[in-house]
Order: sequence, then C-alpha cells, then structure tokens
Amino acid sequence: MQKINKNVVLALLSLTSLVFLLFQLYYYKFYLSQKNGAVFSKLRGRQSGQDSTRWHVVRKFLGLISSHNIPVYLIDPLILGLVDKDIEHIRGSSDGPSPECKYFCAPRDFTTFALLDKTWKHEAGLFRTAEKMGFQWLKIINKDPRLDGMDDLSGVEIPLHYIFKLASHAIHLVVFYERSGNYLWHGPLRLKQHMDRKFVPFRKLHFGRYPGAYEKPELLLVSIDDLKVQIPKNPSSFLEEMSHSRFLECRYREARAFFQLYPDDASLDAVEFRKKAKSLLHLAALTLNNLGVKFWLSSGTCLGWYRQCNVIPHSKDVDLGVFIRDYKADIIPAFQKAGLPLKHKFGKVEDSLELSFQGEDDMKLDIFFFYEEDDHIWNGGTQAKSGKKFKYLFPKFTLCWTEFVELRVHVPCETLQYIEANYGPDWKVPVKTWDWKSSPSNVQYNGVWPVDEWDDVIQIY
Amino acid sequence: MDEWKPNPAIKPHKKRSWYLAWKYKLMNQRALRKLCQTGAVLFLLVTVIVNIKLILDTRRAAYEEEEESAQDYDDEMLNVEVPRHPVSNKKVLDVEVYSSRSKVYVAVDGTTVLEDEAREQGRGIHVIVLNQATGHVMAKRVFDTYSPHEDEAMVLFLNMVARGRILIFTIKDEGSFHLKDTAKNVLKSLGSQVAPFLSWRDMWTFVGKKGGEVYGEKHAKSPALSTWGDPVLLKTEVHLTSVEDAECHWPDTELNRRRKRFCSKVEGYGSVCSCKDPTPIEFNPDPLKDNKVFDVPVAVIAGNRPNYLYRMLRSLLSAQGVNPQMITVFIDGYYEEPMDVVELFGLSGIQHTPISIKNARVSQHYKASLTATFNLFPDAKFAVVLEEDLDISVDFFSFLSQSIHLLEEDESLYCISAWNDQGYEHTAEDPSLLYRVETMPGLGWVLRKSLYKDELEPKWPTPEKLWDWDMWMRMPEQRKGRECIIPDISRSYHFGIVGLNMNGYFHEAYFKKHKFNTVPNVQLKNVESLRKDAYETEIHRLMGEAEVLDHSKNPCEDSFVPDTEGRVYVMFIRMDQEADFTTWTQLAKCLHIWDLDVRGNHKGLWRLFRKKNHFLVVGVPASPYSSKKPSLVTPIYMEPPAKEEGAVAVPAVAAAEQT
Repeated sequence: MQKINKNVVLALLSLTSLVFLLFQLYYYKFYLSQKNGAVFSKLRGRQSGQDSTRWHVVRKFLGLISSHNIPVYLIDPLILGLVDKDIEHIRGSSDGPSPECKYFCAPRDFTTFALLDKTWKHEAGLFRTAEKMGFQWLKIINKDPRLDGMDDLSGVEIPLHYIFKLASHAIHLVVFYERSGNYLWHGPLRLKQHMDRKFVPFRKLHFGRYPGAYEKPELLLVSIDDLKVQIPKNPSSFLEEMSHSRFLECRYREARAFFQLYPDDASLDAVEFRKKAKSLLHLAALTLNNLGVKFWLSSGTCLGWYRQCNVIPHSKDVDLGVFIRDYKADIIPAFQKAGLPLKHKFGKVEDSLELSFQGEDDMKLDIFFFYEEDDHIWNGGTQAKSGKKFKYLFPKFTLCWTEFVELRVHVPCETLQYIEANYGPDWKVPVKTWDWKSSPSNVQYNGVWPVDEWDDVIQIY
Repeated sequence: MDEWKPNPAIKPHKKRSWYLAWKYKLMNQRALRKLCQTGAVLFLLVTVIVNIKLILDTRRAAYEEEEESAQDYDDEMLNVEVPRHPVSNKKVLDVEVYSSRSKVYVAVDGTTVLEDEAREQGRGIHVIVLNQATGHVMAKRVFDTYSPHEDEAMVLFLNMVARGRILIFTIKDEGSFHLKDTAKNVLKSLGSQVAPFLSWRDMWTFVGKKGGEVYGEKHAKSPALSTWGDPVLLKTEVHLTSVEDAECHWPDTELNRRRKRFCSKVEGYGSVCSCKDPTPIEFNPDPLKDNKVFDVPVAVIAGNRPNYLYRMLRSLLSAQGVNPQMITVFIDGYYEEPMDVVELFGLSGIQHTPISIKNARVSQHYKASLTATFNLFPDAKFAVVLEEDLDISVDFFSFLSQSIHLLEEDESLYCISAWNDQGYEHTAEDPSLLYRVETMPGLGWVLRKSLYKDELEPKWPTPEKLWDWDMWMRMPEQRKGRECIIPDISRSYHFGIVGLNMNGYFHEAYFKKHKFNTVPNVQLKNVESLRKDAYETEIHRLMGEAEVLDHSKNPCEDSFVPDTEGRVYVMFIRMDQEADFTTWTQLAKCLHIWDLDVRGNHKGLWRLFRKKNHFLVVGVPASPYSSKKPSLVTPIYMEPPAKEEGAVAVPAVAAAEQT
C-alpha cells in the first residue's frame, strides 16, 4: 500500500508541476505578452502569425473608415520611424505588391491614426459597422476646450480619442481639432470612472498622456505593405514635432477667479492697448517663426497668460524669451523689415543679450536671451546710464505650446516655477509699479560692463 | 532516476516480462529508488514554490503598473455619478390638480409640475401633457381663452398631441369667455362632461387620456357674474402603460432613433411624431453650384421658444446649399426643450448660463455666441447670424453665396443682411435687386470675423450696461459710416410674436406684411455695382433715367404714382440736414412702412417700389443727389402731427425687436 501511495504522490506532483508549467505558458502568452510586449517582442517577432494579425487589423480598420469616407492619416511614431528610413523609396514606389510586410507587421500594441474633426460627421453608423466587423471600441469624450475660455457656455462634450480593438491588436484614433491660431489640437486621454481600465494598456499609447498641438500637416498618399494610407509628407519632421507637442490650456477658471477679485480694466485705453499688444505679438510671432527661431512668452506677457489669460493692460510692452543657442543675426533686420525698428540692444551674444524693438505708439517688444547653465537658466539686464549688469535666475524649464490671443505660442511648461522665480509668491496680486532692477525676486547684481565695451553692449537708437 | 538505465538484455518483444524485470530490478535497488523518489519530490516541490512565487510577482508587478497607468489617465475631475432615478416600477401616478381664481397647480406623484399664482398672469386654461408610460411632462401650455382666438390655438395644440397621452386641464381666473363651441366639442370628445357647459368664471379641472379613459373631472360653477366659482381640487390616479405602447414603431434608422428620443420627451410638434406618416427631419435640399458660403459657420441665437426654433430650423435646413455641419444653435439658458429640438435635427447646440437681465442678457448671449462661433471655426472669415424667430428663404444661401465676396473685398461694407426694413408686400418687387443702406437691419446677416474680433468684441457692452446689442452696433462709433447690403425682397421672415420687445399688435403692424422671397435660385442682378464707387455710378444712372413725379399731388395718395409698371420715378422731400428725417418719417407712416426709426437710407436716398415701379425718394438739400432736382420742383414737406398722439409711444421701445 505504501508503495502505491508513494507512486500516487509522485504522479500527483508531476501533474501539479505540469499544470503549473502550462499555466505559466498561458500566462505569458495572454497576459504578459500584452503587457510587456517589448520584452517579449523579440520572441514574438518571429511568429509570423502575430505579425499578420497586426497587418490584418490595420487593413480591416482602413476598410472600415474608407467605407464611411472618413479621411484618416497615419501618425504612429513606430511605423513612421520605419517609413522615414525608406521614405525616398516609398515615395517613388509604384503600386506593385511589396515582397514582405515590413511596416505594419512590426511588433507593437497599437497602430495610431489621426482624424481631422471637421472632415467627418460624427455618425453612429461607423460604430455599428465596426461592431459587425468584430471590433470592440471605446470612445473618450471630454469638454470642448474651444469653449473653455468662454464664461458660461456649456457645449456638448466632444470625442477626443477612439480605440478600436480586434484580437490582440488595437487601433488608436486621435481626433484633431482646429483651433484659433491656425493649429491642430488633440486632447488628453482621461478615463472616466465607469470605463474599462483594462480595455487596452493605456499607458503605452503614444498620444493622450498630455494634450498636444501640431501644425496642420501636409499629407501624402502612399502604399506601404500593400495598404494605401495617408502619412505626413515629412515623417521625420512630424516625429520631431511630436516630441515637443505638449500643450497647456490656459487656466481659465483661475483667470475668472482672478477677475472676480480684481475686476478687469474695461476702459477704452485698456481695450486699445490690448489690441495693439495682440497685433504686435502676432507680428513678432510671424517674424520669428519665419526665421525658425523658437521663442516663448516671458515676464509680464507670460504672467498675463498664466494669471488672467489675457494681456495685462497696464504692462507697457510685450516680452519674449529666446534661448541664446537659437539666436540668429538676421533677427534684427527681419524685425526692421517687419516695421519694428531696433530700439536698443544691450549685452552681446556671449553675455546678457537683450533686444528691444519699437512697435506702434510706444509699444515695445522686448526679446530676452536665455543662457542655460547646469542647474539653472538665466537672462541678463543692463542699466543704460550706469552700465550695471543684472542677472535673472530661473529654474530649468522646458517649453510647451499654448494658445494666447489667437496665437499658438510657447510658454515654459513649468510655468508656476518660472513665474514665482520672476515675481515671487505674490504674483497673484496685480502690481502697477514695477522696477525691473529691483522688483523681480530672482534678480542678482552682476557687476558692471567694462567702459570700453559700452559702445558695443549699450546701443540705444 | 537519471541513473537508471534500461537493461539492454531485456527482449523488447515481451513487454510484460520487461516490466516485471524492471520492477524486480528496482525492488532490488531499494536504496537507490528511495533516493530517486526523494530527489523527485524535492525537485517538484521547488518547482511548485518557484512557480507560485513567479505568479505572485508578475501579478504584483502588473497590478502596480495598472495602478500607475490608471493614475495617469484618470479624469482628474471627480466624476460623481449622478444618482439616476430608479426606474420606477410603479404603475400608478397620483395626480393632483387645483383650479381657482388666483392660483393653479398640478402635482404628479407629489412633484409640483405646474404652479402659477402670479397676479395678472396665466389667465385661462392651463394644459399639461404627460407621457403615458413614464409620467414625464411633455408639454405645458396656457391658453388665455378669455381672449379671442386663443381657443383656436388650443384646438390646434390638442389635435397635435398624440393619442394615448395624458392630458391635464385646469382653469385659472377665467377661461370660458372666448371658448367657442369647436373648442368645447374637442374637450367633450376627450371625455369631459362639463366642458360644453363651462361658463363665466367657472373653476374646472380635468384629467384624461387622449382617445381613452377619463381619470377625473371637477367643476365649480360661478354663482354670480361678479364672483368666481369655489376653488376645486381634483385628486386622481392614472395608470401607466408600458413603454412599447407609448411609442411608435418606426423603422430602426439613425433618423428615427433621434425622432423617437424627441417624441418620447416632448409634445406639440405635430406630425413629426406621427406614427403613421411622420414628417421628415432630414431635408436634403439641392446643393448649390459653386457655393461660396458652404464653409461659413451659421450661429442660431435662441432662447426658450422651442416651437419657434423648430420652425426656424426646418426652414433653415430646407434652404438650398445649407451645410448642417456648420450650424450651431446657442441657447440662452439651460432649457431642455430647445436642446431637444436641436438634437432632433442632429445639429450641435450650446447652452449659455444667463448673465445679467433683459436686453443686456440678450446682448451678452450674442457676444458669447459670436465668440464661440469663431472659436469653433477658427478658419472662418465670416459668420451667418440668425435668430430663432426667422423663416429662412429657400435661396438664402444662394443670395449670400453671390454677394459674400463684396463683404470680403469692400472695406466700406459693414454687413450683408437678408432683411429689407422697407420691403413690404406693397413696396418690394424685384428678387434680384440689391441695395446699399446706412442702417444695419440684422434679422439674418453676415458678420465679418475681422470686424468682430478687431472692433466689436473688445468693446462689446459689458453686462451692467442694459443696451441692445443691435442698437449698439448701429451707433456711429461702431458703424463708422460703413453700409450694409440688403436685398429688395427679404430672404428672411420674422414670425416671432412673443419676445422681449414684441407683442401681437406690433407684429401685425410692422412684420406681418413683410415680403419674403420664395423663389429658388434667384440670379442676383449686377452684384458688382454694389461696390462703393460703382454704386454711386449706378444711382446717378438711375436718377438720370427717373421721371420726376408731380409734386403738387399728395404723396400719400395712390394716384401720386401713375398706373404704370417697370418705370423709375423720383420724388424730392425736404431734408434740411443729414439727420433731418421729419418729412421722411411722415411719408413712411402714410406708406405703411417702417417708421419707428430711419431705416434703409443711403446718402439721403430711399429706394422702394410703388405699384411695381421703382420709386426713389431724395432728401433735399442734404442728399448729394439733390443736384438732380429740377429747379422748378419744390421738395415736399410734411408736418409731423401734433404731439398729443400717444399711440406711437409704445412701439418706440419695440423697435429693438427689429433685429
């Protein structure tokens, strides 16, 4: 009896072990492979079955949207990256069948497409067809940011993202909206409470962590892997744009609260000033964009955006920031050509450069150049009569897009730190008297320019 | 076990003996076997433990990842689930209806759905329609059947209500004086015993199902002419039916789904909810060739007049060249029914929290709507602005498509409007003719984005200023001498009778006889001549061609204009300076055209039609066209009537509604 028992135990253990082994395999295949695709992708890459699944899902999806006349274009960074390497070949290639599935079979969890909102009519028919084709879909809607700045409008929520899932692959369709300032915007992907958090591994999506702003892309119809798709004409510049696309919405609610505390100046002077500041900013943006010089709202203009989503009427000028590495010698002639003569130039490219241009009726455009150090960023100031130098220190920041007076412009993403560095913790309280030499909380005395350099570093026109 | 090797001596063809030999051999090596067994057990145990650990680890890792991802993508706003009303399985509704001289109320299951105790208001028969399946209020109306014609409106309304709906009636103050037999018969056919005998100052409540049973009726007779009947309170129960019974069985299409949603919520829209033959809600009018306004956003400014909005949107969506995707309806306030109408037609609607009061509220609503329109359509150079009480002509977009380039190119233009203030049945004739006028008529007009963004929006009247937005837009500070282009025959029709500055009398006098174009595809004549300088040439040509009328006759008389057709006549009136409109106002009055303020003038010239002849009125000497006056002709002067007349005072305020 004992022997038999031992044999039974042995058999049982073997069985358990086998079960565990099978379970482990199952687990890898159906759970982990989706979660940590990258880790296992090398393994999977060889499985041609998986590859063609992706291609098939994409093909089905393209069929679905073309049957509803919805013009989408490919923005998947992975595929565009691959496409970009062969872009010359792809542009030139005819419609002949391609020998291998090179792009759409590449291992990944999603394929991302973009859709321009105004090019389609939201119709339920699409989803019914999608369901019939076997897709599961998820729609993410949210407030319409184009109405956010408006006091008391409540529009219908707008669709921001769609996800179509079929088998182990999913299509992420990002909806782009045109906004004032001639750019495209896509929303963040935020799940509401009742939503299925495990519908797809949302964390791996390439779009949706933050809202983003893009230029309107030129599109190109290409045939890759025997599928006809539209792609941005220049994939590499699209990918570059994508890496800096994060968009910050103005803090409209806080701005309203600010105006409750400090009612807006509605005088005719203020109206006029704002109008002029707006057109000056538009002109400056046009000029700098044409030169390809990246700039951001700085000082008072930035504060106006952050605090009240508008130009501060009692500020006297428009302030922009530019990294010194982006400095170009043609900035001055370009502004002159645009009708903004140089008013003064302080400092030099190596140190504390600052340019001021004269706009219409006393409006001034200040461009401060920022110097990057290891742990901070600074810009300089110069007092014309004494030759004294000042230094304004800022914590390191990156640039985000925002919309300001119907213009797409950059602001520091870490706006609050930027503003607190400049204006101290009481930036929320409007101050009418401001001395640029002493009021900023980040100002440092930085010595005096040597007298023999004065002619160069202090130029006033 | 690894050490064990099969004995090569064993013959493979004898399986049984092979097994026995193997067993025997193992038995003989007990120590070895024991070792193997222990080793195997240990190995298996370790495997199991490792496996369990692995599973736990991956689980935790996956869970953590999940948590993190959830944080990233969670909606930061706390989405408090709106507690949904539990689907009531109750099959019976308790209904309470009260009727008295000064107060009426209706409560359904303890919820007051109507309460009116305001003084001097709400007189007549209040009608409430409930959904027979859900008990929801679908319509609320009051018909002042003390006044004439209101009973006809009530009959019209009751006929529109679908069969099976629950109707609740109650009288406040007086409801019988002008309740004619037709109306009484309709009430009788609904099952009312009392209705045929309703008389002066009776109190009455009635609850019944259209085309079905009666749930209760109470009546209190007025004892004498000078007194009212005693208040009556009717308490009754209504049995609900199933949802399927309350709905029509239209084919399941996208359109019908919208229709179904609409029809289960509201009543009083006639055949749109008819089960048998519902009126279409999609119109597919002919597209326009070379439509220049296809991408121009259309802002429909609405308040809480859903029936008006319904009529307006029907006409708008039937106009040739309409692009429904560009239409946005802006509703002033969180009213449900207008939004239901918007959704019925599959359009997008935006609600606006009311700011300020009266005129300023309208003005703020306009501002928000215009700003939102240009935000939603950042590419647009123009916006079409419409109101909820307008009918839109079938060639509205065709008219705009042919003229919009002028607004883009001619800086001296302020707007293009579909409305001719002076275009009445007897004064407008030519659908292909356009004018330039110094006033801004509104009522269906096109606004240039640059004008709005650069000039109007920044200094729009603030909420505390109780200004009419249109009056403000007409002020010289805003208009800056610019003109609007208008058609001779209006492309919009103002049908609103209820409004902020509107009443029935006013509508009858000034709007009812307005001419409205119904001809499709009108080819506009000589559009280029509407440009600033070309228009002057055109006027001089016209003046040269015009025959001077006999100035000794009374211009108010019909005989002033000869019985001809298609001729051009001119008359000269006295106009001492640019702002002297004394004679014009008198002339306008006797011609029965707009006389409440000066409209439709261009440099002291008015153009209209009389007896199918083009009729020009020139103000002398203020108008530059005065030079065309023959020296022998004395301009006509008409004295304003003495001031005692009080009747004109009313419409002075009402002029505002003219937009």
